[in-house]
Amino acid sequence: MRASPGGRPGTMWSRMAAGLRKESVSEAITGYLFVSPFLVTIGTFIFFAAVYAFYLSFHKYDLFSPPKFVGLANYRKLLTNTDFRIALRNVAVYTAGVVPTQTAVAIALAVLANQKLKLRGFFRSAYYVPCITSSVASSLIFMWLYYKQGIINYILSLLRLPSNIDWLGNPSTALPAIMTLVTWTTSAYFMVVFLAALQDIPTSVYEASKIDGASGWQTFWHVTLPLLRPSIFLVVVLGTIGCMQVFDQVYIMTRGGPLKSTMSIVYLVYTEAFGDLKFGYGAAMAFALFAVIFVLTLIQRKYLDIKIEY
Amino acid sequence: MKRFAGIVLCAVLLITLAAGAAAAGKVTLVLSGWQASPEEQQLVKDALEVFAKKYPDIEVKYEPIVEDYSTKIKTMLAARNAPDVFYVDIFWAEPLMKRGMLLALDPYMAKTGTKRSDFAETLLNGFTYNGKTYGIPKDFNTLGLFYNKKMFDEAKIPYPTPDWTWDTLRDVAKKLTKVVGDPAKDRYGICLPVDAARFRPFLVQSGAQFVDKTGTKCLFASPEGIRALDFYTSFKTKDKSAVIPSEVGAGWGGDAFGKERVAMVLEGGWLIPYLNNNFANVEYGVCELPKGPAGRGNVYFTVSYSVAASCKHPEEAWLLVEHLTGYENQKKVLETGFALPTRVALGDHPFFKDNPNMAAIFKGYAYAVPWQFGEHSEKIMNVLNQAIEKVYLKNESPEKAMKDAVKEIDGILSE
Repeated sequence: MRASPGGRPGTMWSRMAAGLRKESVSEAITGYLFVSPFLVTIGTFIFFAAVYAFYLSFHKYDLFSPPKFVGLANYRKLLTNTDFRIALRNVAVYTAGVVPTQTAVAIALAVLANQKLKLRGFFRSAYYVPCITSSVASSLIFMWLYYKQGIINYILSLLRLPSNIDWLGNPSTALPAIMTLVTWTTSAYFMVVFLAALQDIPTSVYEASKIDGASGWQTFWHVTLPLLRPSIFLVVVLGTIGCMQVFDQVYIMTRGGPLKSTMSIVYLVYTEAFGDLKFGYGAAMAFALFAVIFVLTLIQRKYLDIKIEY
Repeated sequence: MKRFAGIVLCAVLLITLAAGAAAAGKVTLVLSGWQASPEEQQLVKDALEVFAKKYPDIEVKYEPIVEDYSTKIKTMLAARNAPDVFYVDIFWAEPLMKRGMLLALDPYMAKTGTKRSDFAETLLNGFTYNGKTYGIPKDFNTLGLFYNKKMFDEAKIPYPTPDWTWDTLRDVAKKLTKVVGDPAKDRYGICLPVDAARFRPFLVQSGAQFVDKTGTKCLFASPEGIRALDFYTSFKTKDKSAVIPSEVGAGWGGDAFGKERVAMVLEGGWLIPYLNNNFANVEYGVCELPKGPAGRGNVYFTVSYSVAASCKHPEEAWLLVEHLTGYENQKKVLETGFALPTRVALGDHPFFKDNPNMAAIFKGYAYAVPWQFGEHSEKIMNVLNQAIEKVYLKNESPEKAMKDAVKEIDGILSE
């Protein structure tokens, strides 16, 4: 039996056996060699690390002494940890704010960048700059903007609006301030996803809607947007995962403060593990977060993921 | 052709290996610390040059760590590939000593004749666990009251003296505050950030002890502790004479002082080179901290040179530590004005006569407590920061904030 190319894909084993029978053993080895750097890196730094972290989450581990098995104690401790609850709430607010905004902004940017305008290349690159800027650099820049004597307050004062706000020092504005920064950086990244999707939409669809007399707005609302749905699903899922794991901006701009108003789960994991040498406990938090993200993704999949055929 | 290249490569490798074996008589040590400033780094390099002449058989590789020093050192220690000699901050020394990550230096000290009594006892105690010495303090700092001479002159207020009390400080801070409603011109008496390290001296001055004899019960919720928090926060909440750095567009207290947005600030000797380099035209003086209701109090910061327990050449590593913390080297560091010496013999060096600012910071040591809270320093610091923040931002009463903080600290201590 030969597995014909383009035919029904056999099981991995039958394909490997077929490969063995042919003289393509060396070809297969070459192939695996090509992917091996990736497999080894991902195996060590992602797969092994994740499995080991899961193992640690059932142990007491301070980095220096051997891990001590404690069963579910770390997870039980989580249930009564007020900081964890605060972090969970912060991250929920953060995600609920950032994901819809960044998705909407990314679609808008993509539609703009997809127009046949002069300087299109320039605009595309300009929009993309925030996302290739390192998060440390952009956080520092935004810290300057948010200072009490920063540019944002200056502009507000020109508009005769309240301008005496210490954006990052006030517990009610610090989290929205970070949310704004993140929306600014990640929208650009997701713009590229939508841009690719927009270019996949066949022109015939647009032509058809034009013939039917649809206005530009109607075309966007009833043709473009529905056809972007698979990309929207992707962006929402990736965006949610990214948001739930927010760390860099918090670490650099606020260190979880003021009054824990920007404390995120990953930041909490970091302080518990590296600050207080509770690596098992930190790992347990990380897996609790994993569970939350997993459930959220399942829900999103149920409601958003729909196959589209042109 | 390919085969030939392979042979050449093998030959080269073999020669390198042989060369390596020939040089095996020479011991290589790795030395790490954080990168405080180019000037400080130069001091270390100079010291290593002297060392190389003294001990030609020991090669020292200086590998400073740029960011997140303690995290990196902790993971390196766990992976058993830590540098041989490295900085250990008193703030996180205890967990490392307790878990046997550092080498006890006593036997090596005995061999070369260095005595514990050569060093300031309190500083050395920060690196002592169960009677063993796990590091030699390389230098230290306390907090001084930095004041802007021009602002004092303009307000016709005499410069601070060591006789100042809490009341004087509060009174003067009020007088020096000039808020005109323009954020670029507003000036405040003092910068009192949300920082337990700045708040800690006031706890001492008020007479509040950290823990009781058992070490598991925090005593900051005593009337003395509450009084300290009430005093520290009243500048900002009641008198409006204090700000936190971000309110005046500064990154930290020293920055706010350099930008002349505040007239006074509590900082250590590190502010002196910072001002020289960035705000050379600010005229300032440094005075001892004012006296509190229970007398004088301060906090000291210190860093040791320690040797990793996994170090393969402990004898040589000790020689390096001894050299770096030795009389000659500390004298040199002091004379450049970068840090205060830990050697008792340098305490009355003529340098202090010509440098009253450094002398003021040096004096603070006599009545200072270490900047650390035992094994859970970082967590406890965060809780105290929260307490200050709650008073500043939520208008919580100092009493409630302190009591809640202590409840939390007790939980951490009993873990």
